Amino acid sequence: MKKNIFLGMLICFSLIIFLGLTRTVSAEESLEEIITKANNTAYYGGNDGRAKVKMTITDNQGRKRVREFTILRFDIEDGKEQKYYVYFNKPVDVQDMVYMVWKYIDKDDDRWMYLPALDLVRRIAASDKRSSFVGSNFVYEDISGRGLTLDTHELVSSEGDMYKIKNTPKKADEVEFSYFEIYINKESYLPVKAEYYDKKGKLYKVITALEVKDIQGHPTVVKSQAKDLLTNSKTVIDFSNIEYDLGIDDGVFTERYLRRPPRKWLD
Amino acid sequence: MVRLKTLLQNAHLWRYSFTHLCGVQQVRLRTCLRMPYICTFFDRVFSWSVLIGIAILCTAQTPVYAGFKLGENGPRINGFVENDFGIKLGYDSTKRDEFNLFEQRLQLKTKLYPSWNSIFEDWGTAIDAKADFTVDEYFNGRTNAQWRLLNLSLAPVSWLDLRAGRQVFTWGTGDYLFINDLFPKDYVSFYIGRNDEYLKKPSDGVKASLYSEISNVDIIIIPEFEPNTLFNGQRVSFFDSFQGGIAGVNSQRTLSVPSQNPENAEYALRLYRSYDSYEAAAYFFRGFWKSPRGYLDEMNRILFYPRLDAYGLSLRGPGLGGIVNAEMGYYNSRQDDNGDNRRIQNSMIKFMLGISKDLGNDLSVGVQYLFEQTLDYANYQNALMSADYVWDEYRHLNTLRITKLYKNQTVMIGLFVFFSPSDLDGYIRPTMDYDINDAWKLTLGANLSWGEDVHTEFGQTEYNKNIYSRIKYSF
Repeated sequence: MKKNIFLGMLICFSLIIFLGLTRTVSAEESLEEIITKANNTAYYGGNDGRAKVKMTITDNQGRKRVREFTILRFDIEDGKEQKYYVYFNKPVDVQDMVYMVWKYIDKDDDRWMYLPALDLVRRIAASDKRSSFVGSNFVYEDISGRGLTLDTHELVSSEGDMYKIKNTPKKADEVEFSYFEIYINKESYLPVKAEYYDKKGKLYKVITALEVKDIQGHPTVVKSQAKDLLTNSKTVIDFSNIEYDLGIDDGVFTERYLRRPPRKWLD
Repeated sequence: MVRLKTLLQNAHLWRYSFTHLCGVQQVRLRTCLRMPYICTFFDRVFSWSVLIGIAILCTAQTPVYAGFKLGENGPRINGFVENDFGIKLGYDSTKRDEFNLFEQRLQLKTKLYPSWNSIFEDWGTAIDAKADFTVDEYFNGRTNAQWRLLNLSLAPVSWLDLRAGRQVFTWGTGDYLFINDLFPKDYVSFYIGRNDEYLKKPSDGVKASLYSEISNVDIIIIPEFEPNTLFNGQRVSFFDSFQGGIAGVNSQRTLSVPSQNPENAEYALRLYRSYDSYEAAAYFFRGFWKSPRGYLDEMNRILFYPRLDAYGLSLRGPGLGGIVNAEMGYYNSRQDDNGDNRRIQNSMIKFMLGISKDLGNDLSVGVQYLFEQTLDYANYQNALMSADYVWDEYRHLNTLRITKLYKNQTVMIGLFVFFSPSDLDGYIRPTMDYDINDAWKLTLGANLSWGEDVHTEFGQTEYNKNIYSRIKYSF
């Protein structure tokens, strides 16, 4: 009898531990699943893609600057390596310039800049991914994604139709924020809002998806805004001409096409 | 009405709109002061500053105006107008002492995609055209029109790109330092502070680019030799061995350019590929020194461009937390292989190492080191005559670039420094660019060179220091 009770207790205990463990494991898995899915949805839709981008930067005095460019993207593997080709149309001063990135997960990206007036292909040092992209309120990481392993993730809430995830950088001295919270749509796994807190814990930057559309079955942000609450400046991005799975050739992302823009894919 | 007639008769309409806008004022000032030259100079500066001021005020809110179209389906024309003005800080015997840069420039460019035959479309045919029109006040308002680009490009098969016509050729890994890029450059533009674009001169030639898994190949043929644009004393004073020192308008050299015949065509070849994140390249060049490195006739002060073969290698990729580049070249001065002809430049070896780093907060820094050695130096020494200037065997040159962006990247403060510890000379180029808005850009800068000796690369231009401004409207 005693033996049975002992055995029963052992089973119960093991069950509790087992169930408890599985629950924590599944919770972790689902958190990882959420952020992985969100990352793939936001940055890896289809095998490749194209978008025309209009960036309107408005400073605190209401002065506007407009950047127009076309982005081509090619995924080598979802959630991993990617290649980007950015062809500038406006302002005219930077017309026909090309910016190219080979994005890696475990090392610094390779970046190139092509200056047509000099026919010069320049290699750009890429250590700082937190610097502004073409003078906008978006940083390089906002455009091509931030490595998931750079932060620890915490599910803050899953109320309503949003997951709210807090991301704390593992190397705090490499970034200007102390943490950021990201809101992910439960159904589409599309991140629709990100809030950045400075080193004092004060909210200073908000990125919001203003308009989302379904394009070829991929939930896609077609209008997005980054607002800097400290400087009171903002940048709105309008995406148009979006297309997935065009079958862009990997070879487009090479020096050859820096010197000879691939019209076939850009138009 | 009279004014309109004059306008129509004037072949340089664009110039009219810029320089003559201030004409009324010029006449008045000129009459009252009776000092034609000073007047022209100062009232133009004055009127330009007024014009610029008004323009800045008016266009602070101007939306981007991206060129104009010729006809409904015609090509889109883009370009810019700019005014460059550089006050000279030194006094020497060049044409002018007040300024060494004062010009208005209009650039128009377009890209055409011929589509009247389907084969053109299949081959991705494109025509690039870019023309510059300038009024150069330094030479009393001399006007000039030049095609910067006029070429046809096509890709008849998947592994081949062809481009023929006037184009700019660039390769190599240096930053303002060139070892294997032996294409023509305009160092006068560079030293007086024109936009960087004008450091590279276009060449008339054909470029074939072949692509394969093993290696990519660029083959360039330039039928007609195009030399570097160098100081000749008119605008920039320089070391003239015939004058025994710094020369200005008194320089009486004649530069003999290789004649246009098939034997004098230039060839350049580049083999390149990448290994992971690293880019490796091998270069070959057969042509001429781009600067007159030989005396043809010392009595009559005639210099020429000796034949040159160059072989080189380069490597570029990530390292030491930045981008590292290494490049080397062997210059074979074919008309003086042994180095025993004192009238012709000896063969040389050049080697360069560089690194550029992004330090965060829109601050980036680059440093380079260049080593040059004149080969067969003993032969050269033995051949020297007593009155000859002696050139050193070794040259070491360091460069530093610092770039910092402010105000959402609309203000760029830059500094580029050349310093040679062996020649004891240097050259500092500070610049400030301000994007007033998407159309207007203001640049301020300076060109400051110095040297212990008058015959070194930067020492010779010591009296040509300037501070310049450029206001540019892009459309």
